[in-house]
Amino acid sequence: MRKLRRWGPGLLLIAPSLIALGVFVYGFIGWNIRVSFTSWRGLAPKYDFVGFDNYTALARDERFSLDIKHVVVFTIAFVVGSLVLGFVMAMLLERGIRAESVFRTVFLLPMAISFIATAIIWRWLLDNGGGRTAGLNKLFADVGLGFLRSDWHKTDSSFAIAAIALPAGWALSGYVMALFLAGLRGVPDELREAARVDGANEPRVFWHVVRPMLLPVVMSAVVILAHISLKTFDLLYAIDGKNLNIDVPALYMWFTTFDGGFYARGATIATLLLLGVAVVIVPYIWYSVRSERR
Amino acid sequence: MSTAIRSRSAPWVTTAKYVALFALLVFFLLPVYALLVTALKDPSEVSVTRMWELPGSLSFASFTAVWPKLQDGFVNSVMLAVPASVLSAVLGAMNGFVLSKWRFPGADFVFPLILFGMFSPYQAILIPMVQVMSDAGLRGGLDGLILVHVIYGLPITTLIFRSYFAGISDEIIEAAKVDGAGMLRTFFFVALPVAPPAFAVAMIWQFTSAWNDFLFGAVLTNRDYWPITIALNNIAGGQTVPFNEAMASALLACLPTVAVYVILGRFFMRGLMAGALKG
Amino acid sequence: MTDVIRTPPSGIRLEGVRKRFPGGVDAVRGVDLDVSPGEFMVLVGPSGCGKSTLLRMIAGLEETSGGRIMLGDKDVTTELPQQRDVAMVFQSYALYPRMTVRKNLGFGLRMRGAGSAERERRVVEVAEVLGLSHLLDRRPAALSGGQRQRVAMGRAIVREPKVFLMDEPLSNLDAKLRVSMRAQLSLLHKRLGVTTVYVTHDQIEAMTLGQRVAVLRDGSLQQCDTPQNLFHRPVNLFVAAFIGSPSMNFVRATVSDGFVHFAGVSVPLPASASGSSGSSLAGASGAVSSVAASGSAVGSASGAASGSAVGSASVAASVAGPVILGIRPTALSVPSAGGPGVRLTVVPDLVEDLGDERYVIFELDAERVDTDATRAAVDATTADDALLVPDAERARFTARLPADAPVAVGEPLDLTVDPDRLHLFDPATGNALR
Repeated sequence: MRKLRRWGPGLLLIAPSLIALGVFVYGFIGWNIRVSFTSWRGLAPKYDFVGFDNYTALARDERFSLDIKHVVVFTIAFVVGSLVLGFVMAMLLERGIRAESVFRTVFLLPMAISFIATAIIWRWLLDNGGGRTAGLNKLFADVGLGFLRSDWHKTDSSFAIAAIALPAGWALSGYVMALFLAGLRGVPDELREAARVDGANEPRVFWHVVRPMLLPVVMSAVVILAHISLKTFDLLYAIDGKNLNIDVPALYMWFTTFDGGFYARGATIATLLLLGVAVVIVPYIWYSVRSERR
Repeated sequence: MSTAIRSRSAPWVTTAKYVALFALLVFFLLPVYALLVTALKDPSEVSVTRMWELPGSLSFASFTAVWPKLQDGFVNSVMLAVPASVLSAVLGAMNGFVLSKWRFPGADFVFPLILFGMFSPYQAILIPMVQVMSDAGLRGGLDGLILVHVIYGLPITTLIFRSYFAGISDEIIEAAKVDGAGMLRTFFFVALPVAPPAFAVAMIWQFTSAWNDFLFGAVLTNRDYWPITIALNNIAGGQTVPFNEAMASALLACLPTVAVYVILGRFFMRGLMAGALKG
Repeated sequence: MTDVIRTPPSGIRLEGVRKRFPGGVDAVRGVDLDVSPGEFMVLVGPSGCGKSTLLRMIAGLEETSGGRIMLGDKDVTTELPQQRDVAMVFQSYALYPRMTVRKNLGFGLRMRGAGSAERERRVVEVAEVLGLSHLLDRRPAALSGGQRQRVAMGRAIVREPKVFLMDEPLSNLDAKLRVSMRAQLSLLHKRLGVTTVYVTHDQIEAMTLGQRVAVLRDGSLQQCDTPQNLFHRPVNLFVAAFIGSPSMNFVRATVSDGFVHFAGVSVPLPASASGSSGSSLAGASGAVSSVAASGSAVGSASGAASGSAVGSASVAASVAGPVILGIRPTALSVPSAGGPGVRLTVVPDLVEDLGDERYVIFELDAERVDTDATRAAVDATTADDALLVPDAERARFTARLPADAPVAVGEPLDLTVDPDRLHLFDPATGNALR
């Protein structure tokens, strides 16, 4: 195999990483699935086999059903909100405003801080404990926007979690903005110029020339945001982790495993989470690798 | 900006734009304002209902109260984030180089597999990871945490360098081959010299990611080795915590990453523009 | 050997070299080629003909799917590029961006273990030859296009390799610079005497630079010969159409009784097939002897033509039936008053005035020749690719006349055809018949 000399060194260099990832990602995923087929409860691992019992139990579990609903609500609110906000910010900055870099820096700043810190800050902003008016509500009242007062995530509504889309959007819209800015600026000038020469005014140039080219960006953003939303743990845990009204699978998994000791159930939830993320991510990876090959 | 003639927007449109931008600025800076204002207040002035008022007098009492509790966490995080970001950047550079410029059969198949590691939820590996780390004696201290951050950081750093190195023309690599350089020498003499922007992106990203992580720190470290996010959550997590201390500790915990971002941000941007993280 | 390069040049021999890419594309099909030591060999052909692939296989950058590559006496077919002693100049120059010119030039020596004193000596020496001495501490980004090109060449020269390989190094220069660089390349080759294989898609470059030129099409070697022979004795339709600018004119004709008839005109074919026209198929039966500029005799067979059976040697008298007739633009001339020769009366549609000559373009009352070969020669894939307004049905000819020729658009013009410069091709195989 004379060809081995050509590419052998490369494979050797990357092999440790491949092995490490093989174990820590795929090996562990497989292991986790195995655990989901056991009845492990308590600190001592137990590797029996109970088939799909854990899965059927979850299907009947009330808390889990609520969790699914919550995570869907959250995802929709978060993704749509961030998309809209990010898009607006990109459009405002696209033409090159003075001090553009100042605006960009501020909008991207939240990405630098941890979700824990974000949660702590926003917990107080969204505070409405004990019937008093505080936090954002107080601000609204002070500036005459009192009608915007809300109980945020403490409401009894099952849509309470939508309130958390606010801090989440605050943290990540900057990223969406960066994606859109790159997309908008990636439209070749020549296309826009051809349209202008053909007689289109700016709004039409945008609608007919730029907008169609933004589709890949939107898809990218939706996929990335959706998968982040499914994985979100830190933010919810620190804002109001024990509030069942904003419970999500990620939180349930944590509490049931590390607080309750129900390892098997935790593994099952985790596996389902993985499936949910995979449904979104795998097509995306496949699509972007395919189009890169072209 | 091009010098081509552009239709100038009507004045009201420009004004509306600036108004909108300003409103957005307010929205984004609101929490920062609340944070600063509260942290700098004298403890007696602090109350949730009066959070929007400026401090009567500047006071660093909250910081001095909170720092001793955060100090260990701060140090731990530094000892975690720095090695982790350097190591995963170096490994990412090697991987990225191989995957873009010294490919082997199946490289294009292996890459998506690596990428998936970046996207998979950590819940799905948590239980096995805890088991393995305990068994290997790596649970409790920072070693295991660093290891885990390096390994799970491999997909993103590999992606960054792969995208970046793809921008080097193949002909330069071929010229090196014809000149007599093998893979390692091509990597050192040809690829690495042009890689600083990608290193900036990878290290800034990984530093931020390691510094801000909560989940791994929570399951893998003992009290003495808690990173700052855990310390922060313990200080500020309860409902009965003094409000000012919570804000002060959050501020202190964020400082390094914000400083990195503000000071090194332009290198980050330059690296992104130069092709890291495309797709 | 010369003053700058002290190693003796090697020859290159390719035997049955093939390349099939994954996916089934046959980029190179069984090429046999012999390059003499010190020779300047050009590989030319339209895009996709396999010339670059062939070059890269000589360099070791592509694996062969079959056949042998010999550098001098050594079989290097399985060797990595690092192990072969070749130097390559790339189309984009491929200078190492973060290294100074000095480091760029010295890199190859460094990789081969030369000490820093020796590297410095060689680098300074070559820099002087190429006029780069004052640029040694600059980075490629601070150099002009021409300077970068010289550094790329210098990098190759410093290593004193057995062979130079050049992949379209002049393509990135603009037209006038390209012409002047061509001449300088030739002079440099004379001085250095290194065996060179040079790839280009520009047949003018090929003709002016090459001591011998190998014409490739779709991975097969069509003809490998001196520029003169390629021009005057093309072995098939493709080579005839590809070489020469403006292109050879083609028209469908019939031959009978020693005359070729086309467009209402009959031109007598010269009776003897021997003598100046040489053997009928220049490459079919073995050695075409041509003398390389360096004075050593070169004998080499060209490889198979487009795969079809090579027609047997035919004397003019035995050719009969339908043919494709080729006439070079310079084979048409304004007849001297009352002189001999068959007259052709045409009406020019267009006259391109170039200063000291004119291209006169007219249509003939005959069908346009459109075959795979003629299309491939201009890089067109379908019949209408080469036409801006795809409605031409009749053959369109270009004649190259002196500037004082009495030509006017729309006015009938008399031209004569030089019967010694007619090329006949078999319509089925495209091979030359005469």
